[in-house]
Amino acid sequence: MVKLPHRLSEPVTESVLAVKDLSVTLSREGRPSRVLDGISFDMFPGEIMALVGESGSGKTSIGLTLQGLLPREHLPQIAGSIRLAGIELVGAGRRTWQSVRRHLVRAISQDPMGALNPTMTIRRQMRESNAGSEGSIEDWLSRTGLLDPDRIADALPHRLSGGQRQRVLIAMAMMARPKLLIADEPTTALDVTMQAQILDLLRDLAREQQTAILFVTHDLTVAASLADRALVLYAGRIVEMGGMQDVAGNAAHPYSAGLLAARFDLDSDRRRPLPTLPSERTPSTNVENACAYATRCPIAQPDCTTIRPPLEPAYVHAGAVACLHHKQTPTLSALRTDAKPWPALAIQETAALRLSNIGKAYPTGIRSFWGRRQPQPVLNSVNLSIKLGECVALVGESGAGKSTLVRIAAGLVTPESGTVARFDRLPPQVVFQDPVAALTPWLTIGEQIGERLRAISPDSDYGRRRVGEAMKLVGLDPILMDALPAEMSVGQCQRAVLARAVIVPPRLLLCDEPISAMDVSLAATTLNLLGDLRRRLDMAMLFVTHDLAAARIIADRIAVLKDGQLVEIADPDAIVAAPQSPYTRSLVTAMPSLQAGGGR
Amino acid sequence: MNGKPSSDRLPARPRYNWREFFRRAGWLESVGIVGVPVVTVVALLAQWITPFDPQLRVAAAYLPPSAAHWFGTDEIGRDLFSRVILGIQYTWLPALAVIGFSLAVGSLVGLISGLAGGKVDLVIQRIIDLFIVVPGTLVALAVVASLGPGLVNTMIAVAIFWWPWYARISRDEIRRLKARPHVEAARIAGVGRPRLLTRYLMPGVVPALLIGASLDVASIIMTLSLMSFLGLGLPAPAPELGAMTARSLDSLTVHWWLPILPAAVIFLLCLLTNLAGDGVRAALRGA
Amino acid sequence: MLAYLAKSIVGAVVVLLVMSFIFFSLQSIIPADPARAIAGPNAPLETVEAMREQLGLDDPAVVQYGRFLFRLAHADLGTSVRTRRPVSDDIREFLPATLELGLVSIALGMVLAGAMAALQFLIPGSAGIRLAMVGVGSTPIFLSALLLAYFFWFQLDWLPGAGRLTYGDFAGPTGLNVIDGILVGRPEVSIDALLHMILPALALALPIGIAVGRSLNGALHEVMRQTYIRTARGKGLGETKVLLRHGLRNAATAPLSMLSLQVRLLFGNLLVVERVFGWPGLGLYAVQAFASADLPAVLGVAIVFGILYIMANTLIEIVQSMADSRINL
Repeated sequence: MVKLPHRLSEPVTESVLAVKDLSVTLSREGRPSRVLDGISFDMFPGEIMALVGESGSGKTSIGLTLQGLLPREHLPQIAGSIRLAGIELVGAGRRTWQSVRRHLVRAISQDPMGALNPTMTIRRQMRESNAGSEGSIEDWLSRTGLLDPDRIADALPHRLSGGQRQRVLIAMAMMARPKLLIADEPTTALDVTMQAQILDLLRDLAREQQTAILFVTHDLTVAASLADRALVLYAGRIVEMGGMQDVAGNAAHPYSAGLLAARFDLDSDRRRPLPTLPSERTPSTNVENACAYATRCPIAQPDCTTIRPPLEPAYVHAGAVACLHHKQTPTLSALRTDAKPWPALAIQETAALRLSNIGKAYPTGIRSFWGRRQPQPVLNSVNLSIKLGECVALVGESGAGKSTLVRIAAGLVTPESGTVARFDRLPPQVVFQDPVAALTPWLTIGEQIGERLRAISPDSDYGRRRVGEAMKLVGLDPILMDALPAEMSVGQCQRAVLARAVIVPPRLLLCDEPISAMDVSLAATTLNLLGDLRRRLDMAMLFVTHDLAAARIIADRIAVLKDGQLVEIADPDAIVAAPQSPYTRSLVTAMPSLQAGGGR
Repeated sequence: MNGKPSSDRLPARPRYNWREFFRRAGWLESVGIVGVPVVTVVALLAQWITPFDPQLRVAAAYLPPSAAHWFGTDEIGRDLFSRVILGIQYTWLPALAVIGFSLAVGSLVGLISGLAGGKVDLVIQRIIDLFIVVPGTLVALAVVASLGPGLVNTMIAVAIFWWPWYARISRDEIRRLKARPHVEAARIAGVGRPRLLTRYLMPGVVPALLIGASLDVASIIMTLSLMSFLGLGLPAPAPELGAMTARSLDSLTVHWWLPILPAAVIFLLCLLTNLAGDGVRAALRGA
Repeated sequence: MLAYLAKSIVGAVVVLLVMSFIFFSLQSIIPADPARAIAGPNAPLETVEAMREQLGLDDPAVVQYGRFLFRLAHADLGTSVRTRRPVSDDIREFLPATLELGLVSIALGMVLAGAMAALQFLIPGSAGIRLAMVGVGSTPIFLSALLLAYFFWFQLDWLPGAGRLTYGDFAGPTGLNVIDGILVGRPEVSIDALLHMILPALALALPIGIAVGRSLNGALHEVMRQTYIRTARGKGLGETKVLLRHGLRNAATAPLSMLSLQVRLLFGNLLVVERVFGWPGLGLYAVQAFASADLPAVLGVAIVFGILYIMANTLIEIVQSMADSRINL
């Protein structure tokens, strides 16, 4: 592999992890597929390495391989070498692995809700983790910023919030003083402000204990705010590696460049469509002697499909890249900036939706003896109006009451107080968070899109033509009309959901966190599609999100919701530049950006 | 850029078909799935396919199993194999009838409960809970013992305590589906109530009911034959499998085939349906 | 916890009321005339009428049901037509044998269930084990009882296959022979009682073991895929510890529900097994009552079994809630 100049500040130390030529094959339903292919890299004590890739790139498999926890039912076959603190792990026995997991490598996972045993107190679960480490359980809990360590130690996991659980998991992992910590998307399930705190915590602990952290993420922006070095993974192969700032600032591989261009933050240009990755990933069938990215690559040459590119020193930075034509990569950024700006909007003064004094409470908390529960206010006299053709983004963290407000606006939930006034009698359409769950598994796409037509025209020939037109409008091939949702990708499902919403253009479209579960490039594509549709069909839109950056890009005004109350509503650029309420300020500060050192 | 069709992704998996169904079910379980219709045909045609007249003396009494009389002969020289074939009819068809009745009543009640919600749901749920908590077999035994033995009484007594399970399954499935985003999305898209029920809810409920029912056939056969064994089925000459075993129980040590073989046929029926049930479950879970 | 107990007791009482009502209705819709039955077939009409008066058969149904409940509360279950003794006396005599057999069967069934689950967990996906488990689960109770009796008693003569004891005259204070043998200092009686119990208990335990074992196995498979199991493995715990500390408790709910279902079926199976093995318990008593259309006896046994089942069910629910603290007590 290529010799890389690693951290400059300290003298060269012995690497804690050396992975060489690692290949992993897993069998799913009898079909073997290579999830990792010739991976080589080193990690040093106290270093944070970002492992960046889209879902399906094999980034989670690396973490599991390093822990020896690849699912047995997939019959993992591992080749190559993994040396952790001098111990060879490929082909190691069960006892070796157990001791390695106990003392050397720990992990925190993507899903803090599921990662703790629901029937065991935190104390007992942490005690199991205590591999002869000094410091009490309470000590470690308070070191991760938990204010009430005694109570938390004796609690069962379901009494804790997502952020608290993630802190518990970090404490549990760090109290074993591992040499290597694998953090697999530890913040995706958390709110932005919580995300920033957890990232700070990880950074401090890594420095303090000289733990190497392998930080797995799909989000280059988050990676940039934390890591020293970056590894970009595509289809199980390393396509680029180097210093974090080098990769983030000056990507050498067309794929990394695409990822970078597709990400959006508070500084992205919101007057034109966002740049996106060329298209969705095709299933790479035979790439043994080819570049796996060739089918998507904008600068692909004929030789890309016949030669597997080796990892070689990059032209633009001090790292390494696996691309035959990486000298051309810088020309890509020039190609991207010329997208045409959005046409001007025609916002009318009439309101498409007017919510006045909306109040709503749900029963929550512990049941009393008679099974009744105290109603907990979710929304507190919210006033919000959306003009015809206007898009308002509703920003807030989980539990702020955003989803309830959408459901009230859609007429799915009746508010306890206040009034909902809409411009027309046609009900608004709603786009939900998970596009796959929003489609009925046993009905074809065409049937579901045509559902809103049925009320108007039962004529099936005419209906099919209209469905086809709607599919074309959202960029979906009408051939897919007879496909079932399970046969389509997430992106295609999202388009189908949109096609159903706009086949009869509504005056008002409600979007409930439509991009929160998506990879960066798919999120950008969806934002572009929504921006395009609302201008073309002249729809007003309520766009609910926890992501301030997405809100700024799509919306004409941003409303900030906290604990059921609107704390601020203003023009997007004004909100980012000069947030009025302290809460909005904290949201803006917590947003990660590509510049090193985290927030703004 | 947005107008560009994205058909570059091939269908992720093939459309559902029978071959796929059997592959998911597993080969062993597929034997059961194929066996169930075969047994049904045998049960329907029992009168015409028995090698001997099951009601008449055709050979000497107490002949052990042989090539001529596969299962031997009974105490008055009737061909046991023929009687067992007829016994399959007396066991299998009532079991199917009980399942059919329970499914029809149960899913209907569950549907009403799940769709109505609110007070109606609450009342129906309490009633179902009661039926489920009361030890059904026991009460059924007492009911039949009181009303007098007989096949119809037995079937009614068993069915009365069986339908609540399906009511619970279909009600829970309806509630679960109703809360799913895709059903809500369909409602927002303006799908009317009848269509929502037939196209969006029922196809989701049917697999769960089918799984439940296919796993229950064997239990029903066992319950019915247990009652027949205890003398609560048809009176003496009728060739009910459970009763045949019970009547010849005391000759176990002398003429083992008389009690064992009818019971073994019940075992085979249960085995087939249990395998079929497992297969149906494995095949439908993933779909 | 207290509220939960109160709730389950109220629930049990409601179920008992419902059952008693069913039985009361059964008594009243039976075509036979109880007054005539007691007075005898040749008694003059006046005697029958007097008897009817005396039995209160002319009173409104509600009053009769009230009286029925009152008698139930005083353990008055009527007189057996067959034995000519109060049903409650008969039940008192035969209950210990059934209790002993039932408890041993449940215990044995749970041991079998653990073994089955362990076997399936160690050798997953084996068609042979799968077939064996489905096979045993498909065996009607009278066939397994017959086969056990035929081979181990009649053919091999390894174990006794009839009755409860070889010592015909033994009678202890509790009626549970295994315990009584120890209490009165005759351990050979306890051993003899246990030996007699092996075959019938095995016949009863097999379906319990299979059903609960399969359910446990399924639940374990589900649980062992959860993220918190990965967390536990990631701590370097051995696989046994992961299974016992993190897997088992989280997988307990479904197999316990299955156990409750199996206990319900056990009462039906007890009748068959006691009949096959000549076990002098309530089951055999009920079978004999069926044969002689002895309705008071049948209903008496059904009520006792119903009470036992409700007690077992409540107990299982409490264990379930202890295993999973999220179940709101």
